[in-house]
Amino acid sequence: MDPAWLKSKRKEFKSWMTDEDRRMGLDRAITAYRAAREYALATLPELEQIRKEVRKIKERSIESMQDLVKGAMENIELVHGHAYLAKDAKGARRIFSKLVGEDKLVVKSKSLVSDEILLNELLEEQGNRVYETDLGEFIIQLRKEKPTHLLNPAVHVPKEEVAKTFSKLVGRRVGADIPTLVGVAREFLRDKFCTADVGITGANVVAANTGTLFVIENEGNARFVSNAPPVHICVTGIDKVVPTLSDAFKVVQVLPPYATGILMSAYVSMITSPSRTADIEKTLVYGAHGPKELHVIFMDNGRTEMFKDPVFREALYCLRCGGCMYECPVYRVLGGSFGHNYFGGIGIIWSAFTAGEENAAAAADACTKCAKCKETCPVDIDVPKMVEHLKQRLIRKGYLAPKHEEIKKSILKKGHPFGQ
Amino acid sequence: MSGKILYWRGCMSRLRTKSIADATEELLRRLGIEYETLDDEGCCGSVLLRTGQVEDAKTVAKRTADHIKSKGYREVVTSCPGCFRTMSSEYHVLVGDVPFRVRHISQFLFDHSKELKQHLKPIKVKVVYHDPCHLGRHMGVYKEPRELVKLVPGVELVEFKYNRGKSICCGSGGGVHSVFPEIALEVAKTVLNDRPEGVDIIITSCPFCNYNFKEVGGSKVEVIDLPEFLLRAWRES
Ligand code: SF4
Repeated sequence: MDPAWLKSKRKEFKSWMTDEDRRMGLDRAITAYRAAREYALATLPELEQIRKEVRKIKERSIESMQDLVKGAMENIELVHGHAYLAKDAKGARRIFSKLVGEDKLVVKSKSLVSDEILLNELLEEQGNRVYETDLGEFIIQLRKEKPTHLLNPAVHVPKEEVAKTFSKLVGRRVGADIPTLVGVAREFLRDKFCTADVGITGANVVAANTGTLFVIENEGNARFVSNAPPVHICVTGIDKVVPTLSDAFKVVQVLPPYATGILMSAYVSMITSPSRTADIEKTLVYGAHGPKELHVIFMDNGRTEMFKDPVFREALYCLRCGGCMYECPVYRVLGGSFGHNYFGGIGIIWSAFTAGEENAAAAADACTKCAKCKETCPVDIDVPKMVEHLKQRLIRKGYLAPKHEEIKKSILKKGHPFGQ
Repeated sequence: MSGKILYWRGCMSRLRTKSIADATEELLRRLGIEYETLDDEGCCGSVLLRTGQVEDAKTVAKRTADHIKSKGYREVVTSCPGCFRTMSSEYHVLVGDVPFRVRHISQFLFDHSKELKQHLKPIKVKVVYHDPCHLGRHMGVYKEPRELVKLVPGVELVEFKYNRGKSICCGSGGGVHSVFPEIALEVAKTVLNDRPEGVDIIITSCPFCNYNFKEVGGSKVEVIDLPEFLLRAWRES
């Protein structure tokens, strides 16, 4: 008999494994990703060196994570931005709640950190209208589904389904032709960008010495979100801060090829302060064409806990490129059910620390510890080691699968795992 | 006793995929290797380690290390990459240094390539070699199994699109097969479906992969362990 934590997850796994449409969508995405990444890595041989430098940068940065965050916050404040440190999801929600207020139109670009704090739900509860503007997130939001990949949240939804969703949105029949679908989203969201009160983004990396946020994207939505509304709020993890601009640029070079197999993303926005001008009488005024206000929230939410354990510390080096997910044999069959708010092997660790260990217990038993992720990872993170380590902790808290307990008993008594 | 080789069959080959242990022993005998097996072999600790039960893993590892030590074996040869990895790369952490050397059967047989080659008769067959995670990615053994396959005349050895360090797990590792057999099977299917076209045999070097692939069933491809394949070539005429 499965205990509750296993039972519910087994059901979720099964529903994923037996959903042929989703499996097909994911298979196509995996094939496309692999081909693209192979091409990108072959075209940019220097990446091999840069990714090793990035590993070193991350090692150094995480060692002094607290100081770097402090430095970044001071530098943001110096140029008229506002910086906050949120200890946990609750803290972050409180800050957001105050900053956004009620009855606002909010546009968002993709942010995993915002998912950690269930931001959309919070803002909607307060009577705000929230639009995800990353196409994949937008689709998921409209369909009220759970994202299935870090960067490609709607990777499992075939175009026919997207057409149905969009037809409902705009109240007319929309063809299942991909460029048309993209056009519908563009048309619908354009006016939201320009009339929104608040724009919310994440940041892929932050340079402490200038307080500069880097936002990497392809669709151009994050530029709108961070630029058109009068208020820009950025929420990011305290693990994202690196010492200098040059360090950040290295991370920026590694991310796109590993994340999506492109040589460089269409846009990399660097944001250091609210928009400003001194063109009239050399008098500095904040709020020119871009936002008047910039708020940056640094989230801890389990990251300091991760740091305290030398094994889990390595998880903080993760760039969230998502490459390992595409390469994971288990993710290939379990998709978005393999994890909780983060996916794949590294997602087990991140889910455990940001959403609670109980949410990672079953997924840890579904990981084969094959190390394909480690082989793929640009910063060589030893994920299987961490999953085993996490499982040790979980077992101490009672999350031992009955089958594994039987095996243990059999081994201790009979010298083999098969019972009888 | 001392100086002799211990063929450590491992729980899978001893009890679940017996043909692997039988073939391996037969091959060792024909090569004239003086080896022994243990009737009360016990557990290497690998499964416990992979499922997070590290304290119990230490207990059995200690038991096993002492057992092997007490018999005076200087060399241990394993069929299972899991036993191989655990004993050779993790025992020093779990129980401290051990006075015996541990090798996987593919490494051991590779050193006997010359003798083997004399006896292997041609088999006209197209085969692909599947890299087990514990042997390949975790321990870096890629060359020896392939060289052994190539000793058999007439064999066409092809490769999975993703092989060696990039090889795709069979799905049964890490205790997944016991808690989620349905996932293990589903992953195995994806690997079998990705095999190169026209392949008659998938050769593995791991009883867990072997067992899991076979469980998928209904496949038009034969799954066989490396020593089993070599023994077959020794017989064919
Ligand atoms: S663990 Fe490595 S490959 Fe996976 S998302 Fe993080 S950086 Fe990318």
